[in-house]
Amino acid sequence: MPPLRVHRFTALGGPCALHVQADGDEAVRAGEAEVLRIETKYSRYRDDSIVSRINTAAGTEAVEVDDETAALLDYAATAYEQSGGLFDITSGVLRRAWDFKAQRVPAQAEIDALLPLIGWHRVTWSRPYLRLPQAGMQIDFGGFGKEYAADRVAAVLAAHGVRHGLVDLSGDIHVVGPHADGSPWQIGVQHPRAGGAIATVPLVRGAIASSGDYERGFVRDGRRYSHILDPRSGWPVDGLAAVSVLADQCLIAGTAATCAMLLGAERGPAWLAALGLPYLIVDAQLRLGGSIARS
Amino acid sequence: MKNDERRTRPAAAGPSLSALTAAALALPGLAQAQVETDLLYSRYEEADLPGSREANGQDSERYEIDTYLFRLAAPLGDQAFVANVTYETLSGASPWYVQPRQPGVDDTPVQVMSGASIREQRTDVQLSWALPLAGIDWGVTLGYSTEDDYRATSGGIEFEYTPQGVAHTISGGIGYSYDKIEPERGASSPDVIAEADKDSLSAFAGVSWVLNAKTVLQTAISYGLHDGFLSDPYKRAYVADGPTLVADSRPGEREQFTVSARLRRYLSGIGAALHADYRFYRDDWDIEAHTLELAWHQMLAESWRLTPSLRWYSQSQASFYAPYYQSLRSDGLASSDYRLSPYGAVAVRVDLRKALPGDWEIGGGAEWYEADGSYAIDTVEVENPGLVEFLILNLRLGKRF
Repeated sequence: MPPLRVHRFTALGGPCALHVQADGDEAVRAGEAEVLRIETKYSRYRDDSIVSRINTAAGTEAVEVDDETAALLDYAATAYEQSGGLFDITSGVLRRAWDFKAQRVPAQAEIDALLPLIGWHRVTWSRPYLRLPQAGMQIDFGGFGKEYAADRVAAVLAAHGVRHGLVDLSGDIHVVGPHADGSPWQIGVQHPRAGGAIATVPLVRGAIASSGDYERGFVRDGRRYSHILDPRSGWPVDGLAAVSVLADQCLIAGTAATCAMLLGAERGPAWLAALGLPYLIVDAQLRLGGSIARS
Repeated sequence: MKNDERRTRPAAAGPSLSALTAAALALPGLAQAQVETDLLYSRYEEADLPGSREANGQDSERYEIDTYLFRLAAPLGDQAFVANVTYETLSGASPWYVQPRQPGVDDTPVQVMSGASIREQRTDVQLSWALPLAGIDWGVTLGYSTEDDYRATSGGIEFEYTPQGVAHTISGGIGYSYDKIEPERGASSPDVIAEADKDSLSAFAGVSWVLNAKTVLQTAISYGLHDGFLSDPYKRAYVADGPTLVADSRPGEREQFTVSARLRRYLSGIGAALHADYRFYRDDWDIEAHTLELAWHQMLAESWRLTPSLRWYSQSQASFYAPYYQSLRSDGLASSDYRLSPYGAVAVRVDLRKALPGDWEIGGGAEWYEADGSYAIDTVEVENPGLVEFLILNLRLGKRF
């Protein structure tokens, strides 16, 4: 039986690990190459990326996009609809006001100035042409690019004959298949306030994605400022500490987890239950809830 | 397109997984549609009828059914096709009629079994197609079933819809079935009817309520209407005044109503779920029935799942039923079928499933069922001697591609 190997690298802003039971390293090299392809293509830091081209053209002309980008924009449009406008790939401009590294709380006026630039409903999307109507508007794929990459890498590994493996892109996980003996991968769900896992979820296939107020957030004057910003108010959401969702695609798991965080403690769980996907929530008092079987 | 109209949409409480899935599967390389196949073998074996309840005083073997089921589920984009093919062999003796043990001396009803051993085969094909359309999940089903003496053709449409801004799902459906029987003649049925048929219509409506993050309540009502030959051509009823045997004869129409509630409670801390189901049934033959079922789904380490369950059932009798008749009813109806008699039943079931390497899954289960007058809500004064006790064992093998 081939050995279980772990291939680690850093991409998409975090640690990546490909766990595979396979001979040779062809599969993991192809997997890493796929992550780097997506990072390069959709990075907002690279002038030659499709995202930069669209953002640079804001307020001027429409940009024609390729099929893969068009399918991602269609997905973003669907997620916007299904979340009632909470999942919005134009909300990244809020970074101009929110500097999570500097841990600075912006003035309301700074946020108010940005809100007119936010809203997928303002965008003209007529496949394959996308136009941002106002200068200063931006889109970015940060809200779902990593999850999409996890799904793509899982497909690449499977195409290379990997039947037992797991893709972990900074905690967004897609399981290619169980361990060789059929037993599930034990996925640790990040504790939002401490190191280590708050729960372990056994997974044989499919994906799990998590969203939490612990990622890049900060505490100032006793208040926690999460990096998850409500596109309608421009302010961080509060209510839930973390959400993890299981789905066939990491893309959908990630979208669902983000939407639940945005909806908060009161409406998030009901929204997830209505969606019909297994999930795990950690509320502000660090109580666990949800429908995932775990240990 | 301009998306201005979306601005006014309320923040979602009723998201559609199928819409997200359809958009995700349109992405290159993400359509990992998996074909699922299952093979199920099940053995149903009725316990011997004890001699104390039989007219000839001897233990009698009853029915046995071997069932082989093959299931194929194939997703295609956001649609899905499912085919179920069932092959069954049925054999053994079944209740024929009920008579007093010693007419005029001992009135205790005892069972007379059909003499000839019945051996039959049944093949059943069910096809279904699921597709999302206009924000609603639709399902279309077609079925055909054939036995030596019986053919049934059925079809149905159902839907499931989650309105925006609410935490509940609405579902409904209608179905139709045409059944035709051409009974065989045998030692215990020399004078059966040549052929007969019936039409059945069914409809249901349900609402699934998300009560909180861990609790879902499903409520439903259903209606059924059967029209045509609803008797059992192989059964007889005993009339003491004759003394004579008359053909089993039931009304030509039957209306059925059910109300049901199913509670699903996740106990995520211990990797379990509690299912509690209740169903109330009433028909215009005056049968009222209650079913209560409790099931505990327990995830165990290493992909094992154990599901013990307990079911209780109680029904009142059909208005025209009697174990046997002193004289023929004025309306001519007569049936001694234990399924129309007053009784209660308990069933205990255990299922175990385990995932294996290579996308295989195996499972097995056992169910023991016993019908008895003492399990009924109301006191059963005269119990039908043909009440059944059975054991079901099943094995399941599944594979995903």
